[in-house]
Amino acid sequence: MALRQWMVTHEWMVKPTPQTEWIERRGILVWIAEVFTSLGAGLYLVSLYFNNWWGMLAGYLIIMCLKLPPHILYFGKPLRFWRTLIPFTDSWKTSWFTRGINFTVYFGTIVFFQLVIGYLAINVYPGTAWETWDIVLKVFGGIFAFLVGIYSGFIMSYCRSVPFWNTAMLPLILIIAGVTDGLALMLAIGLVDTSVDIAAVEFGSRILLIVNIIFIAAYVWNATYISKTAKYSAMLLLKGKLAPVFWIGVITCGIISPLVISVSSYFSGDASTPLLITAIGFHTIGAIALKYILLKAGIHNPILPVKTSS
Amino acid sequence: MRWGMVVDLGKCMRCHGCVVACRVEHFLPLGMTWPRLIAWEKPVEELTTFPVRCNHCQEAPCVKVCITGASQQREDGIVWVDQDKCVGCRYCLIACPYQNRTFLSKDKDTGYFPGYELTEFEKAGKRSYPHTVGTTEKCNFCMERIDDGISKGLSPGIDRDATPACVNACPSRALIFGDLDDPESEIKRLINSNMGFQLHPEYDTDPSTYYFDKGRKGV
Repeated sequence: MALRQWMVTHEWMVKPTPQTEWIERRGILVWIAEVFTSLGAGLYLVSLYFNNWWGMLAGYLIIMCLKLPPHILYFGKPLRFWRTLIPFTDSWKTSWFTRGINFTVYFGTIVFFQLVIGYLAINVYPGTAWETWDIVLKVFGGIFAFLVGIYSGFIMSYCRSVPFWNTAMLPLILIIAGVTDGLALMLAIGLVDTSVDIAAVEFGSRILLIVNIIFIAAYVWNATYISKTAKYSAMLLLKGKLAPVFWIGVITCGIISPLVISVSSYFSGDASTPLLITAIGFHTIGAIALKYILLKAGIHNPILPVKTSS
Repeated sequence: MRWGMVVDLGKCMRCHGCVVACRVEHFLPLGMTWPRLIAWEKPVEELTTFPVRCNHCQEAPCVKVCITGASQQREDGIVWVDQDKCVGCRYCLIACPYQNRTFLSKDKDTGYFPGYELTEFEKAGKRSYPHTVGTTEKCNFCMERIDDGISKGLSPGIDRDATPACVNACPSRALIFGDLDDPESEIKRLINSNMGFQLHPEYDTDPSTYYFDKGRKGV
């Protein structure tokens, strides 16, 4: 039956509707912020593990200069940003978004002091109490870096309105992807900083890339039977309009290519610089693509039952 | 006390009167509509409509996710947005399972006749009911009318001056407003006697808007 024009005004509310607020138009800023959240938090955590001051500095700068500003600029009223901070709001009790912004601010504050004290402990006062303070701040910095890396997963998984996101697996996927991104960036730092143990970074990378692919496969598979709308999202990734980004960007560039390069370097004994640069580039493309498909495949359940043929 | 609304789908004539009344009451910009009429094509070649608006859920996800506390719930159940506190993060738009919130962007507030002077209606609206670009808006059950009416000793849902504009405007009395906590209220009686239902009860949001349908026919 042909619908009259005036009766189809809100037809979109009776069909699975993609969320557009966080990926289209100004929403692109959210996507950019999510990419840098992953890269920055992951790099800081990996740098902590390898005790690499330059990596920590890079992770800190990524979070504070490339992640936080786009997030704030995305707001309709950016100058009201202060309203999201404790003690000006008590929304942290229920809102993961408020918690996340506050985690980021605490991360920024603590890690700033950690980097300054860490630098002094290494270069000016080695073997003194400065090192103890550095360790204490690193512990807190690590905790907040972990929280910064995982909170956006909780923001999305809280939304029952978007079944594809509404799973406890999403925060795990984002934090694992973040640490894997961090390892890739650590390789990049290793190209200029000879103190980085490239073999150890590659070992970690191999393990996490395999874990990553298992988690992503399980997540998408799980979505196919959560609900009709979640299945619709999953199918968009597997064979719909997001399939090229998913298969080429996330799977091939983000996981398979770095894994193949990493495994080949394991058997050949040493990875050449061009191969490492290729792996880092591919991996970064994968990180960008993963955030894109997750945000883009967020589909709202229709308000009313959907006609089978529509 | 918990204010709620029941929609008698069998009586709704699809006149869009509720949509227009709300626009006039709140001086809504042209790109924004608080109540909507959803066209719904049934499987058997039949078209019907659902009037929808904010459901003022008891367990409102929009209130829980709000990052500044701008989305609030009053003791009488009304969910409203403090536009002075809203930062425009749009998390509530995504978390609302009913998609009943709207972000007021500049392109939704271009004036009724873009490029020309504001109409007298729009000028009056800017003075008496300003809308803030960059924030989120939604139906507030005409809480100003309710509060004002109660202060004058009137009963919302019974006295017109204390009742939401859309309910007053409905020519077929398809919209009924009242206290869901009062077992003697008309709204409660209609819900109980007609097997009133909420949209998407599986979300556990406990909406304050109910529907019932007694032998409704197509367009």
